[in-house]
Amino acid sequence: MKKKVLGFMVMMLVLTSALAGCGDGGSADGEEKLKIGVALPDFDDKWLSYLQDGMTTYEEEAGNIEGIYVDAMNDAAKQMSQVETFISQGVDAIAIVPVDTESVGTIVDMANGADIPIVVVNRVYEGIEDATAYVGGNSIDSGIIQMEEVAKLLGGKGNIAIMNGTPGHEAEIKRTEGNKQVIEENPDMQVVLEKNADFDRAKGMTLMENWLQSGDQIDAVVANNDEMAIGAIMALEAAGKLDGVVVAGIDGTPDALEYVESGKLQVSVFQDAAGQGSKGLEVAAKAAQGEEVEKMNFIDFELITPDNVQTYVEKWQ
Amino acid sequence: MSNLSTVTNNTSDAGLHKESKAAVLFKKYGMLIILIALIALMTALEPNFINSNNIINIVRQMAVIGIVAIGVTFVIITSGIDLSSGSVIALTSVIVATFAQEGTYPLIVAVLAAVAVGAATGVFNGFLIAKGNIAPFIVTLGMMTAARGLALLFSGGRPIGGLSDSFQFLGQGMILGIPVPIIIFAIIGIVSYVLLNKTKFGKYVYAIGGNEQAAMIAGVNVTKVKILVYSYAGLLSGLAGMILTARIASGQPTAGTMYELDAIAAAVIGGTSLTGGIGTIGGTVIGALIIGVMNNGLDLMNVSSYWQQILKGVIITVAVYIDARKHKKK
Repeated sequence: MKKKVLGFMVMMLVLTSALAGCGDGGSADGEEKLKIGVALPDFDDKWLSYLQDGMTTYEEEAGNIEGIYVDAMNDAAKQMSQVETFISQGVDAIAIVPVDTESVGTIVDMANGADIPIVVVNRVYEGIEDATAYVGGNSIDSGIIQMEEVAKLLGGKGNIAIMNGTPGHEAEIKRTEGNKQVIEENPDMQVVLEKNADFDRAKGMTLMENWLQSGDQIDAVVANNDEMAIGAIMALEAAGKLDGVVVAGIDGTPDALEYVESGKLQVSVFQDAAGQGSKGLEVAAKAAQGEEVEKMNFIDFELITPDNVQTYVEKWQ
Repeated sequence: MSNLSTVTNNTSDAGLHKESKAAVLFKKYGMLIILIALIALMTALEPNFINSNNIINIVRQMAVIGIVAIGVTFVIITSGIDLSSGSVIALTSVIVATFAQEGTYPLIVAVLAAVAVGAATGVFNGFLIAKGNIAPFIVTLGMMTAARGLALLFSGGRPIGGLSDSFQFLGQGMILGIPVPIIIFAIIGIVSYVLLNKTKFGKYVYAIGGNEQAAMIAGVNVTKVKILVYSYAGLLSGLAGMILTARIASGQPTAGTMYELDAIAAAVIGGTSLTGGIGTIGGTVIGALIIGVMNNGLDLMNVSSYWQQILKGVIITVAVYIDARKHKKK
């Protein structure tokens, strides 16, 4: 019996060390590389994984950068200690996608105190001017662009159901805020249903199924991201009620683009994940070498409709 | 072996002796009464609640959590816990999606993959708990983290689409007007009921939860039964992951987040005692339906998600309170 337990332990050890081995790519060439600490909020997040891809692609192209990627698992305190580690490691610059827009101020102050350039990527916060630079979009714009297209498709009138992401998330707050700004400008449009489905396809699907049972007239389902929008489409389709309902998402993920191609998802908004990632790392590298950098680097949101979807399909290839 | 039946019978007899008939009735049907009351309340507040479409809708939505909860019920009866179910769903989801690609393997391969992945994680849990003598909370917490990591590693953090129609049928299809997830849920419910109530294995499960030492002295192979219990729970998480994947037509490494807690909640609301030895399949199914009815009813009435969470918390706490009172009376 003891032998078996021992065997298992050994197996675990081998497995963990094998997995750990995948981590470092090994940069054995002699020349000094720029060390850039990249603090990301959540490796599990799909959209952020495209952003990270943009960074690693840029890293390979540039050749003189060594990125150190860490995952805060959506824990602001953890992100703070990761940045502290970067500082004590003496990295040349830091690129950060903040876990939340409150604690990032302190983190930026820490980097400034240590005289290490810090580039905030993707999420804006109050006091962004303290950071070396910002690279990303303005979340509220995506909500505005999305709802403006929905308003156009509905002729400026109709009942809107809004599917919110995870409560308290910056993207949830700002995108919905953008949605509502547009709705206020259109007196014949009103929000009849609004609820959180946590950016999750299965939850979006369940919520839509329940909404359909409520008997309320719904002219458009406007979701904070594509995954929830796809869930809504699947529920509407199963109930045979997709015709006559406009469904809108945000992000322009590869899955979502297929739904746009087939006309089921009529609106999505492209937030250039890879573009934000590569630009973020580029700005951080420049700052690390002491070059002057632009303070606000906006990567624009773009509207995706069945008419222009091909351009975006090609981007992912 | 023959000592065992006396051990279990004694414990249940002792419980029944001192209680009044009303108390026995409530103990047996209390949560069913609450479920019916809840349905009546929802119908009064929102007439659309009580149509056959919506009832089918609720059961289908709860099938995934319900299946996980049945497995968790076995675990909790042995006075263990399984925190890994949600992550196992995710791991199964991405692996099954790979085997369910349009025009690759026959459907049975995907189904077997789901069963195999789920059961494998369960065997691993059970082995470490029963043979390694590590607390279930810790082992399954480790599995929860590791399985999620494996799911992300396997999929590169991305959803896997392109699933075959025959596979999607498992989550979206209907047989004789009944959604396939409900049929699978029902079969699993019946099989589990028989396992727990009509077999020696079931008797051992209760015996271990009631008093592990006594069970061991009575000749129960506690190690083996525990490994089987965790394996069965893992297997059911695997099947739940398969249904979820088929339903959303996508293998997702982030699927099933927090499902383990909903499943535990369903079991607890259904009268399963966290101290072990007590719990039924019927109770757990009712517990799952109570959560489902509440979620659905509040969605229909457009009550905010914030309130939904608060109410769920209150219901769980009240259920445990009732459970604690019941034991005090004994």
